[in-house]
Amino acid sequence: MGVISAIGNSVAENHVSLTQQKCGIGKLEQFPSKYAATLPFGEVKISNELLKEKLRAYDADVTRTTLLALHACKEAIDDAHLDPEILSLYDTALIGATTVGGMCLTDELYHDANKDEGGSEYLLSYDCASVNIYLQKYFSINGVINTINTACSSSANSIMYGARLIKQGLAKRAIVGGVDSLAKFTINGFNALHILSDEICTPFDQNRKGLNLGEGAAFLVLEKEEDCATKKIYAELTGYCNSNDAFHPSSLSDNGDGPYLAMKGALDIAKLSPSDISFINAHGTGTENNDLTESQAMIRLFDTPPAFASTKSNIGHTLGAAGAIEAVYSILGIANGEVYPNLHFKEPIEGKNLVPVLSYTKTAIQHVMSNSFGFGGNCSSLIFSKS
Amino acid sequence: MFYIHQITCISPQQTFSDIDLNILNDVADNKLKVIEPSYEGIPLNILRRMGKAVRIGVGSALPLIKQKPDGIIIGTANGGMEDCIKFLNQIIDYNEGMLAPGNFVQSTTNAVAAQIGLMSRNTGYNITHVHRALAFENAMLDAAMMLHENPSANYLLGGLDEISAYNYNIDYLSGAYKKEKISNKDLFTIDSPGSIAGEGSAMFLVNKFSKNAIAEIEALQTLHTDDIDVVKNQLQLFIEKNNASGKPDLLLSGENGDNRLTDYYTEIENEVAKNISVARFKQMSGEYPTASAYAVWLACMILKDQNIPAHAVKKIGETKKYERIFIYNNYKGTQHSFILVSK
Repeated sequence: MGVISAIGNSVAENHVSLTQQKCGIGKLEQFPSKYAATLPFGEVKISNELLKEKLRAYDADVTRTTLLALHACKEAIDDAHLDPEILSLYDTALIGATTVGGMCLTDELYHDANKDEGGSEYLLSYDCASVNIYLQKYFSINGVINTINTACSSSANSIMYGARLIKQGLAKRAIVGGVDSLAKFTINGFNALHILSDEICTPFDQNRKGLNLGEGAAFLVLEKEEDCATKKIYAELTGYCNSNDAFHPSSLSDNGDGPYLAMKGALDIAKLSPSDISFINAHGTGTENNDLTESQAMIRLFDTPPAFASTKSNIGHTLGAAGAIEAVYSILGIANGEVYPNLHFKEPIEGKNLVPVLSYTKTAIQHVMSNSFGFGGNCSSLIFSKS
Repeated sequence: MFYIHQITCISPQQTFSDIDLNILNDVADNKLKVIEPSYEGIPLNILRRMGKAVRIGVGSALPLIKQKPDGIIIGTANGGMEDCIKFLNQIIDYNEGMLAPGNFVQSTTNAVAAQIGLMSRNTGYNITHVHRALAFENAMLDAAMMLHENPSANYLLGGLDEISAYNYNIDYLSGAYKKEKISNKDLFTIDSPGSIAGEGSAMFLVNKFSKNAIAEIEALQTLHTDDIDVVKNQLQLFIEKNNASGKPDLLLSGENGDNRLTDYYTEIENEVAKNISVARFKQMSGEYPTASAYAVWLACMILKDQNIPAHAVKKIGETKKYERIFIYNNYKGTQHSFILVSK
């Protein structure tokens, strides 16, 4: 596994921050925006120059999104001991996800899209695919290469796609994950939808004011159980499901149909019943709509939901990276027998009365469900189990 | 892999209603733009808010979603690029002032699959693959996997992209399009770098049932390389692996008039098409990342009608009976796909 986020530049750093209940949400420092002073963000506190140096990635056309992805991908590849020979095999797949891609370069894109001559060095770096095309070249990976964008559930779907490739024999190992960097584009988009909070987000709280945008990346290496007998195994991906809420382009239905179907479908694939789930890593963005709907869907499926929490209160909403970063957090919980609390919570949502986990707890975790719901009604749930 | 039962295509040619492939519509300013239908199935208030990518995607999907597919699998490199840059322009022009969110919501690449799901109240699998020129190929692979997992299901599979003034500009600056204005009729005779821009949306209703199918997607492979020898080696392996039910009788070639890619296409033609027919399609579709979806649609039409439009014929082989079509597409010399479509 590899991860970079507002609370750490590695799996180990993120783990320490989670156990210490650290919140990495604060002031935007890496690029100028009108909202830098008024809105909090979950920013990775390393400059592009430093990232380039650290990764020896000096290409002129490399974007921050690609650098964050490369940072996490490299950690995952090293952690899984995938050498260049294994990476270059035709059965090594790379499945990434991003929603912003190279559009983090909002000003450069503006000029290249509207100018007749003298393009910038980033002409081939704006689309979502540019990130994984860079990683493919950097590591010389030759299997199935893909990029998925289902908005905020993107990287849950890249994990699912990678797992299915392996299950069907189309890959022997899959490097799966997601990335997004903070961008004027998304900041202004979410701001126009009036779902950004001017305070640090408070998932599942009655008085929640919206979400905070964050940035980061995470990658995981998936292999079949029989192929990793001698290797370190963190957890098993036992369930997954993608469903659509089919209700509204940018909000979820009152009854939470999409979230309910995604969670239910994941249980079916894992052949588990609701009572088997030890903990839910909730999508919990801190918006009025998401937290209400997710609560409703959890109550529908579980009656009395198990322990749950949202780490969006630590790192903000990292969009296309969220599913993968939270997969790493879910797996850390399983591997270490821990539950990381939901920060900044005070009062339960009226009528739902659900209280998330509020303190760091040591406890055996068998099955974690991890939720990712996005615009366009794109809902996905994954289940990770102790192996 | 799977069978194709229904197809639709909105393209720069007469491919949607009153199909006539023998007519080749002209290009204007090196851009082959789609002929948009009247979109009778889309309520006017919703249609007005849609960008072109969403319009052509939803418009081409509508006739197929009547079959209530179990899920929606879309490939698009850029989705609603026009809305995306419109929103971006507002950010810069109004210095991050208070903006209307409409363009932002329409600009996300998953907006087409989402809108199709929304309009058909489809709560099944819903995904958008965006891996540039292999976005549609990954959507096909996903459909094949979904059908392997759910053999009785039907899926809507599609590939689409739009030309916006902005992505044309970005691609033009990067050298993707010809500097001189040309006619699409001369696309393969002018020896210069770059191609002409295109756009379109092709949709397919797919399942595991061979009965009454238009075509079968037999095999698929994707590659990332700029090394011709690697492409040739992989092609040989692909042909060997898939020659059990005979050799292809038509090569549908993704040639796009860019003389920097001629070597790839010549090598592939020498490899697979010594005695068989060769046809081309980018004079009809123009070049865009998901043009391979148009190629699969055209392959279905050729298998169905047993006829290749005259403007598409590069070479006629020993037989004029078309039962297996091999599609080779190459995007900017870096992303390649092999697709085998048969009757």
